[in-house]
Amino acid sequence: MTDARKLKTDKLSEADAIERAKLGDPLAFEALYNLHKRRVYSLCLRMTANTAAAEDLTQEAFLQLFRKIGTFRGESAFSTWLHRMAVNVVLMQLRKKNLPVVPIDESLETEEDAPKKELGGLDLNLAGSIDRLQLQRVIEALPPGYRTIFVLHDVEGYEHNEIADMVGCSIGNSKSQLHKARMKLRELLKTSRAEKAVKP
Amino acid sequence: MTCAEFEQVLPDASEGNREFEYEQHLRSCSACRSLVADLNAISQQARDLPDCGDPSPRVWNSIEIALTREGIIRPSSRGELASVHRFPTRWRSAWLLPAAAALLVTAGVVRYERGTGPSVMPNAPDATAQVASMRPEQSPDDRQLIESVALRMPAMKASYEANLQDVNSYIRDAEQSVKNNPNDEAAQQYLSNAYEQREMVYEMAEERSLP
Amino acid sequence: MLSRQRAAQLVILVVLVGVVLATAEDRKEYRFKVRKGASISVVNQYGPISVKAGARKQVLVTAILRSDKVEIDQGQSGSRITLLSHLLPGADATSGQVEYQIVVPTDASVTLRSTTGPLHVEKLHGDVILESNTANVDLRDLANGHVHVKTLNGLVTLTNIVDGHVEITSLGGDVMLNAVSGPLVEVNSSSGKINYDGDFGGEGEYSLTSHTGDIEATAPGDASIDVTARSEQGKVISDFSLQPKHTSFPMRAGSAFAGTMGKAASSVRLFSFSGKIHLKKRQTN
Repeated sequence: MTDARKLKTDKLSEADAIERAKLGDPLAFEALYNLHKRRVYSLCLRMTANTAAAEDLTQEAFLQLFRKIGTFRGESAFSTWLHRMAVNVVLMQLRKKNLPVVPIDESLETEEDAPKKELGGLDLNLAGSIDRLQLQRVIEALPPGYRTIFVLHDVEGYEHNEIADMVGCSIGNSKSQLHKARMKLRELLKTSRAEKAVKP
Repeated sequence: MTCAEFEQVLPDASEGNREFEYEQHLRSCSACRSLVADLNAISQQARDLPDCGDPSPRVWNSIEIALTREGIIRPSSRGELASVHRFPTRWRSAWLLPAAAALLVTAGVVRYERGTGPSVMPNAPDATAQVASMRPEQSPDDRQLIESVALRMPAMKASYEANLQDVNSYIRDAEQSVKNNPNDEAAQQYLSNAYEQREMVYEMAEERSLP
Repeated sequence: MLSRQRAAQLVILVVLVGVVLATAEDRKEYRFKVRKGASISVVNQYGPISVKAGARKQVLVTAILRSDKVEIDQGQSGSRITLLSHLLPGADATSGQVEYQIVVPTDASVTLRSTTGPLHVEKLHGDVILESNTANVDLRDLANGHVHVKTLNGLVTLTNIVDGHVEITSLGGDVMLNAVSGPLVEVNSSSGKINYDGDFGGEGEYSLTSHTGDIEATAPGDASIDVTARSEQGKVISDFSLQPKHTSFPMRAGSAFAGTMGKAASSVRLFSFSGKIHLKKRQTN
């Protein structure tokens, strides 16, 4: 992007950009895209753990939003609207690929996916020492069903009733899967820490 | 309460539904206290995770192309080449007929003035063929593109001229096909493919399709 | 005697030129550590790019620069690698050449762009996106990913590509598909010929369309397809006896046919404006 164009797009406030986008102004669309691309892309990447898929889904989310921009009346924040659209786009994609959005039936979880039951006697304390980069890595390693719930709740801040609506499960199921996702992450973080401790 | 029972109620308890027995066990069991601290730490850090960076420039390129094609982006006075040549899907056929009619009238007037006899409005297919044959090979957008290519990549100029000729011929044939059979799915497919090809030529000439 | 002297001088000259050329070339190697689902993007206007699978969790790049009129801009952001051959003033198609050989993890996604190429990718499971002006494109042994190829006039050859989405747009370059199957295979050609030799398997949707390019599709006698073929101005031939099907599609003998074979698991559309279409039956020995 040339400097002149970047300056123009920065100067537009979101409200201005929305009104001008409704009239078909190309710079307004670009401004809205630049304002929100990072957050949408991050959401898509965390939920899919695949950069090419995340880019495709980012593209699709913005396309769906921009096609409907004429109907936006400002009842909710634009970013909320966009974000919800991005979540729906990702969930649809996961369903299309027959990937589990949420494991409804616990018996369907593989032994490998389920967190191992550990009661007491833990010698590695995570609290206060979690590396964000490491956390990002182990989130990618989560099974898709756990990853969806964890990203939506703990990373993106959705409530269980909202998650239940979006993914089509019960609130109880959402809570239980979130707990399992956190347990699994804990296990992965401890394993990673133990491996590092062993390496010279 | 045992540790196993504690863990069973943990999903609800972590959402704020804490019973007396839960709190009691938490106070008395260091292992479960450690577990809860770990899970809280994970949840807390997740909230503060930074964004993952930007998607590659091709994402915006693809969005812009799609929106322009759909007529949602309506470039007004952009001097850039990129905005001018696209053919929004919605009104492709809509402008075709009036444009064809205007050229037809011009053709009729020219024939009359040349003394070939009174102008007779030919049948629709012939008229369209006349229109098609009269349409210049290169539009102003095409000429501008070739000039731009000649400046930046002189060795590619001839190749792009040939490519544009090829693709414009495809568009002409496809438009004729749609005109003859407006409801024919295959004809519509040809037209869509032809425009996609033209889009590709422009993208490559402008080196915009990939980062 | 004179001619022997001349010959010797010529040999010395050739050797000297070779030495000069060899020393003008510059070889660079890069190694990038990456995680699962890495993506690699290469923009190289002049020169070949070859990408193969092999390395786990790293990307190995060997680049041979033809002269000092070109340099490589390389960058890494997480698991995203970008390589750009940056032409300096005075560079042309010869002096600006860079030859890339890249080894990547099997699940990596690759995006390549070149004017002259050629481009070669093999044995990957990630997405492959290629763009070429006149560069020939050769893809083989790919599975599961999206394969997108755009070319103006390069020859495109796909061999053993399965279970992915394949979309090819070619203006004048011929497109050769050998053992390509999957949920979606789409080729949009203008004057380039389309040649398909496979089984139309995978319960996929196959669409081969052209403006003036001929379309030749070869399938086995037991193919399971629902086929529609039409050419506005060219001939259309089928070696198969098709089961008729109800269709609003206009059937003109010699320029259109439609029907099914076997369980009609895959949908096949062969459309050309003025090219010839031939649906051939593969000969079994």
